[in-house]
Amino acid sequence: MKLLTSFLLLISVSFSAISVENTQAKLLLEQLSNSLRQLNFSTSFVVVKNNQAEPYHWIHGVSKENIELEILALLNGPRRDILRKGNTVSYIEPKSPAYSVTSNYLSSPIPSILSGNISNLEENYHFVSVGRSRILGRAAQLVRIVAKDTHRFDYWLWLDQTTGLLLKLAVITRQGQLLEQIQFTHLEVSDTLSENLLNLQSAELPKVMDMKSVEQLTDLSWKVNWLPHGFKKVNANRHQVNNNKKSVEFILFNDGLVNISVSIGNSKERQRAMEYANDGATLVLNEVKNNIEISVVGKIPPETARQILTSITFINKPKP
Amino acid sequence: MSESKSEKISSLVDNYRATTEDSSYVEQAIDDMISNDDLSSLWQRYHLIGDAIRDELPSSLQLDLSAQISEAIEAEPTVLSPKTSIQDTVNNASSENKFKAKILTFIKPFGQVAIAASAAGLMIVSVQQNYADNDNVIPSQVVQTTPLAGFANPVSFNYQEPNRQLQQKAILKQKMAKQHRFQTLLADHQQQVKLNTSIKPIELSNSVEKSDIINK
Repeated sequence: MKLLTSFLLLISVSFSAISVENTQAKLLLEQLSNSLRQLNFSTSFVVVKNNQAEPYHWIHGVSKENIELEILALLNGPRRDILRKGNTVSYIEPKSPAYSVTSNYLSSPIPSILSGNISNLEENYHFVSVGRSRILGRAAQLVRIVAKDTHRFDYWLWLDQTTGLLLKLAVITRQGQLLEQIQFTHLEVSDTLSENLLNLQSAELPKVMDMKSVEQLTDLSWKVNWLPHGFKKVNANRHQVNNNKKSVEFILFNDGLVNISVSIGNSKERQRAMEYANDGATLVLNEVKNNIEISVVGKIPPETARQILTSITFINKPKP
Repeated sequence: MSESKSEKISSLVDNYRATTEDSSYVEQAIDDMISNDDLSSLWQRYHLIGDAIRDELPSSLQLDLSAQISEAIEAEPTVLSPKTSIQDTVNNASSENKFKAKILTFIKPFGQVAIAASAAGLMIVSVQQNYADNDNVIPSQVVQTTPLAGFANPVSFNYQEPNRQLQQKAILKQKMAKQHRFQTLLADHQQQVKLNTSIKPIELSNSVEKSDIINK
């Protein structure tokens, strides 16, 4: 009896400890989200994956008219810049004309949800505040975004104690293996807009793409029967793949943090065994079955992707 | 001998090529080298320097093997021309390189080094780049110098070459097709994510509106 009481006591203590940590972690993440939307900051970071490093420069600010301005530039190789002015995001990429989309997020190596509504993650992830360490010469608080099931990866975030901004981010498997990390190398917070942002403010961005021209699909001839809990369909369309001009039927799923895309197209080959490749945490899984090529791409473990792929069933053969 | 030519040779030895230039640049450099004795001795010297730096010098160093090799070749009537064999090896390496260049989008550091921090980033990249290049160089080094160090018979070595090269080429081609497929899928995924960020604010309308209100 005594043993049982002490056991119960222990459990209740540990549970309350977890919940305290949870609320603290959530507060830190909310602070991060606010800081990312409201501060004027200029920062550089390096994405380290596959034994390679990609350096970026990222500037954000809020104009007098309360319009958010943002520039993200890849510093190596051909120019890849992303500009944002309020709800217009422009992508400047090599080999294709610049285009804009209506959004208040830019699609960058940093998950867009971090500047959005953190509560959206609570359905599928725990937030755990772990401890302090020193990152980028600053006192940092480590917060883990831990998946509630085994079908996705964990995200570890090191947040600046004074500004709440991100100093380091790591994508880690359930087994604790590091797949990809983003290390910030420079951070400056100021009261005024930087010169680049002032230039952006007066610049005219490329025309917003008419997304209605993309064929939206409502009735597909195939179905994904299994997805990890919490993934919702964001978009379904038929489009041409830029690199090889193949036409594919495509669905994009999202659980708040992670995007998974499933695409299906015709193939010249009859059969090809399932193959996969990793780009940091991003997995590409691909298979040809009866002249139909099925692919699953996303920051998910191989087993999850395999289960998604094998769950696909055809109602009829897809049209070319 | 012009400086730009020796620079070309140097970059060939390092297996390094600017992304903007195509394979004709490499071919041109190799043609120059074959026709010009000074340049070919330069090529030899650069390799020797590279070997010395990497600490890969054979214990018994015979500086001019090429003369012995050509003697041996003249004595042997049925042999393949070493000229094509060298060219093939280099071409092979360069095509592999071209493929690498596609995968690594950042071969050449961009001019924006104003920020100290990003310079640090560049340093990491260039260090890793060098590392990767070395990896590339070593196999061709092994083929061209080490097995020939003093005792191995260059004739029989060359004789096996075509078959193995064909095999290697086939494997390489297969690998490239596979990598290309994965790259395409990855690029398409990223493109679609970009195009569909516009959907997210609707899902997250609560927070967005709230922060808009705060801003107003």
